[in-house]
Amino acid sequence: MRFSLGSLSVFRITLLIVALLAGLSAVQYRPDVSGRVWQAGKAAWWDYKLLDLGLTGWGQAPKQPIAFSHALHAGEYGLDCLYCHSAARVSPAAHVPPVQTCMGCHARPTPNPEIKKIQTYWKNREPIPWIRVHALPAFTRFNHKRHVRAGVACQSCHGEIQRMQRVEQVSSLKMGWCVTCHDAHQASKDCLVCHY
Amino acid sequence: MANELDRRNFLKLLGASAAAPVVGCASKPVETLIPYVVQPEEITPGVATYYATVCQECPAGCSMVVRTREGRAVKVEGNPSHPINQGTLCARGQASLQGLYNPDRIRQPLYRNEAGELTPLSWPEAEAMLAERLQKIRAEGQADKITFLAGQLPDSVYRLATQWLEILGSSRLMTYEPFGFEALRQANQVCFQQASIPTHDLAKARFLLGLGTDFLETWHSPTRYAVAFSQMRSATASGKFVQVESRMSLTGANADEWIAIKPGREAFFALGLAHLILPNSTVPAEEKARLSQLLQPYSPDRVASVTEVSAETIKRLAREFVSHGPSLALGGGIAASSRQETTSLIAVNLLNYIAGNIGKTLHFYETQERSQISSYAALLSLIDVMQRGEIPLLLLANTNPAFSLPPSSGFTEALTHVPFVVSFSSFPDETTERADLILPDHTPLESWGDSHPEAGVYGLMQPVMSPVFETQALGDTLLSVATQVDEAFSESVPWKSFFEYLQASWKERHGESGEPGDFDTFWRHALQQGGVWQIKEPLPVQLSPAVFETSFSEPTFDRAGEDALTFIAYPSSRYYDGRGANKPWLQELPDPMTQAVWGSWLEIHPETAERLGIAEGDLLTITSPHGTIEASAYFYAGLRRDAVAMPIGLGHSGYGRYAQGRGFNPVHLLSTHPETAAGGFPWLSTTVRLARTGKRALLATTDGSRQQLGRGIAQAVTAGQHDEHRHVDHSEHPARDMYPEVEYAEYRWGMSIDLSACLGCGACVTACYAENNIPVVGEDMVAQGREMSWLRIERYFEEPQEGANAPEVRFAPILCQHCGNAPCEPVCPVYATYHNPEGLNAQIYNRCVGTRYCANNCSYKVRRFNWGEADWPTPLNLQLNPDVTVREPGVMEKCTFCVQRIQEGKDRAKDENRPVRDGEVTPACAQTCPTQALTFGNLQDPASRVSRHSHDPRGYKVFESLNTRPAITYLKKVHRNT
Repeated sequence: MRFSLGSLSVFRITLLIVALLAGLSAVQYRPDVSGRVWQAGKAAWWDYKLLDLGLTGWGQAPKQPIAFSHALHAGEYGLDCLYCHSAARVSPAAHVPPVQTCMGCHARPTPNPEIKKIQTYWKNREPIPWIRVHALPAFTRFNHKRHVRAGVACQSCHGEIQRMQRVEQVSSLKMGWCVTCHDAHQASKDCLVCHY
Repeated sequence: MANELDRRNFLKLLGASAAAPVVGCASKPVETLIPYVVQPEEITPGVATYYATVCQECPAGCSMVVRTREGRAVKVEGNPSHPINQGTLCARGQASLQGLYNPDRIRQPLYRNEAGELTPLSWPEAEAMLAERLQKIRAEGQADKITFLAGQLPDSVYRLATQWLEILGSSRLMTYEPFGFEALRQANQVCFQQASIPTHDLAKARFLLGLGTDFLETWHSPTRYAVAFSQMRSATASGKFVQVESRMSLTGANADEWIAIKPGREAFFALGLAHLILPNSTVPAEEKARLSQLLQPYSPDRVASVTEVSAETIKRLAREFVSHGPSLALGGGIAASSRQETTSLIAVNLLNYIAGNIGKTLHFYETQERSQISSYAALLSLIDVMQRGEIPLLLLANTNPAFSLPPSSGFTEALTHVPFVVSFSSFPDETTERADLILPDHTPLESWGDSHPEAGVYGLMQPVMSPVFETQALGDTLLSVATQVDEAFSESVPWKSFFEYLQASWKERHGESGEPGDFDTFWRHALQQGGVWQIKEPLPVQLSPAVFETSFSEPTFDRAGEDALTFIAYPSSRYYDGRGANKPWLQELPDPMTQAVWGSWLEIHPETAERLGIAEGDLLTITSPHGTIEASAYFYAGLRRDAVAMPIGLGHSGYGRYAQGRGFNPVHLLSTHPETAAGGFPWLSTTVRLARTGKRALLATTDGSRQQLGRGIAQAVTAGQHDEHRHVDHSEHPARDMYPEVEYAEYRWGMSIDLSACLGCGACVTACYAENNIPVVGEDMVAQGREMSWLRIERYFEEPQEGANAPEVRFAPILCQHCGNAPCEPVCPVYATYHNPEGLNAQIYNRCVGTRYCANNCSYKVRRFNWGEADWPTPLNLQLNPDVTVREPGVMEKCTFCVQRIQEGKDRAKDENRPVRDGEVTPACAQTCPTQALTFGNLQDPASRVSRHSHDPRGYKVFESLNTRPAITYLKKVHRNT
């Protein structure tokens, strides 16, 4: 290995290429509306260390196994979010309701093909394999209970969910986005609040 | 070098690897959210549910509370309301989760086909196979010879199995435990006509004499005794503990005075003390005369010549035994179990009787479940019957004689003479491997059951989660098979399931208990609490005249030659009798005395080694009259010069990937000839010759040095000589800071560690592994110094004091000190480690780029770098704590003071609009500590326990002169020499 001016400039050019590639990948990454969602559990190092892309599914609205409409349930019928997502008030996890909750209203025979799907899942004692929309990386903790109890509206993070036919992640859920709100409300900005 | 990666190529590669994710990203799989179909009432996703049950890792019967998340067990802790372990738990109990999730478990019924291979079978097929066999044996009129050999079973399972066999026409249910303590029961029968194990009230004693008894490790109920021991040793009680043994056990290392005795001569020591105490004893005059006659030959001089303990020491201890009362003598550890064990324990009983301890510190109660245990001699006669081909069917549960008995006992060979062997084991142990049919039982955490470890104490076991594999509870299998044998059998067992049977027997208990209210309330209360218990009155006992017939003699040894060394096989606090060896946490938990992991060794006194020309790490051949094994030499000064010692529990030829082929089994060297009076296993009965193989085999250990080398890490002070004012030595480094003083608001989390209370047992280390998803790295990595433990226990040998037999041992748990002025923080180039406003030294994994500068700059060696991908073979991964991130390669990690628990505590406090209360948040290490040596709390609250400890005159900080300002205060160990 020899150090010379030449090799140094090669170094600079390569750095530039890396930076360009990084930018390119960032552009490619963000709005993926094809229904793909990034796996949260196991991030590769480049996912967050080099490029700081975040690992959230910003801008995604994947097709779900049942065309459940929040616009109808939360919007038109005005159901409280906590009616289905009851854990959000008592647990760090908001939780997806069990099939039983759906059956509380949808047990009667119906011609609606989507509701029939629920009934089939129920009959077969199978869970509904919902596609994850809002995903945080594994090293990030978010406590629903604390935010709900602090009076933060669900819409603050999840957007105008009561107008969505298909749920889309409208907030970036990236750290800067979190911190902006924490800053505005004088909430803790200690790293350990979310990262442990 | 031609292939050397030059700068240009390196940069090319760097470019390529940056491009790779762009391509790679598009093919990541979809993540689904799977909700419940019907959500169980007691489960809220994201919130833990707790179930109480009974630990089955040894027969002590400790109660546990199991933390489950979304239906899977993630952590076990001691049950705070239980009288035995009082909220604490040992390392083996902590590791019971790795039995539940063991990747080598037997996953469904198996049978041995004609080619001799084990093949899977469905449950109905397997049950039918056993039922058919039973029908055939009955038809042949051989039903009375059907034999059931088991380890200690849960109480109700034992009773059901007994009934089941009786209906079949057999009464051959034999319970065998390798650590069966036959001699203790026999000695109590001879002395007091009580063939039971008494309750030792250590907490009440002020002078405790141990005669080879490892009561802090494996003896009867180690966690219970550890709790009581810490009460006896507390500042207010300040009891003294003297241990007399041939090899310093962990228990001996915690003694104020350790006395080396010639192996197997404990009886004479006890008799010598009794002889001196008798004249002033308050025993009735007539008894005194007879005792005097019995003890007459045991003058201090004679005892000194037999035991090789000086007559002065014997006289002094006899004085202290009386003057420091109430006293208590304990006898009968596995390592001291010679062929004269019963007479040895009779001698200990006599000593306690003469000193007036019976009814004060030693109590007898009605018999408990351990009285069912058969002796080793009974097992030998079973082997004999098996060898004659008289057993048509052998059923095995919870027992592994193929491992725990010497090959020369003939058990393995005898199995081949049994036409059909059925095992109910969950694990592929050495005995189960030889079975014809395996009907795997649930592990204890998946089972219903109960235990009756002590008079008045009934523990209730409940399944904490649904079974991991296609296993079936032993009780259910027995009931189900019964219905298939014939109608009469079926009618005699009216219970549809074992659960029904258990409830039926608890209905009786409800009736007996006289508790008001209906059974359902009683049952629910028992489930919540982990059982029912009430205080029982001890039985009055009298000295039986049979004791005067006892003749005391020195134990016999099977000698390997003229100048052979006595071979001490001692029980391991990590593996018990070997059943813990398949749990990676226990394999990677450093042995308390040697700090070795994943292997076994032969302990030898340095002077003996020098005499024989043996260097440390030499691979030796150890030959006894019964066999030969190999092990590497480890120099150990806490050992008699005429003995060598080796831990029991390793050397498995099967038992899954973590146990197989590791270490050596000392049982191979032992005699099969049982103990004289009680028929127990003769653990101390052979002498061995050593020979060098010429090869070297160094142990993987975690200790850097056996000495403190003047660093003052584990400090001590003599009782009554505490400095009233703490003095900090700043002469080396004047306390000048580049950084401004940190101001803390509501909380500063801190800890105090009382070195006087710490036993060095390692329960905290295993609890930390369990709570914090710490990977097990294996022997090779530990040998390279790459173990991942966030908390370790340093063991230091001090120079022996004047006249002492062995070096003093000090233990110091070392974890992140959460320094107020942390050396690791300013060197991090990416701000991944920083000081949080509550005093925690935080490590943010996603910021960390792995420079390892922090570890380099840490004065306490508590930061760990992830060198590789952690491996949790399915289903071990189900144990991972969802509240703690699983770290990746290239990331630094360290103790967080269990920040997830702090967050949980603060969350709860916030719900109730109050600050966190003292004691509300307890890290996993402090929670499990049997002696409560660790105290955690808020240093900003002057009333908190940790604040008070931090101002204790015994308090000091490790490396205080470095001005790191740790949040951990150590309390000096207290020497009690008088």
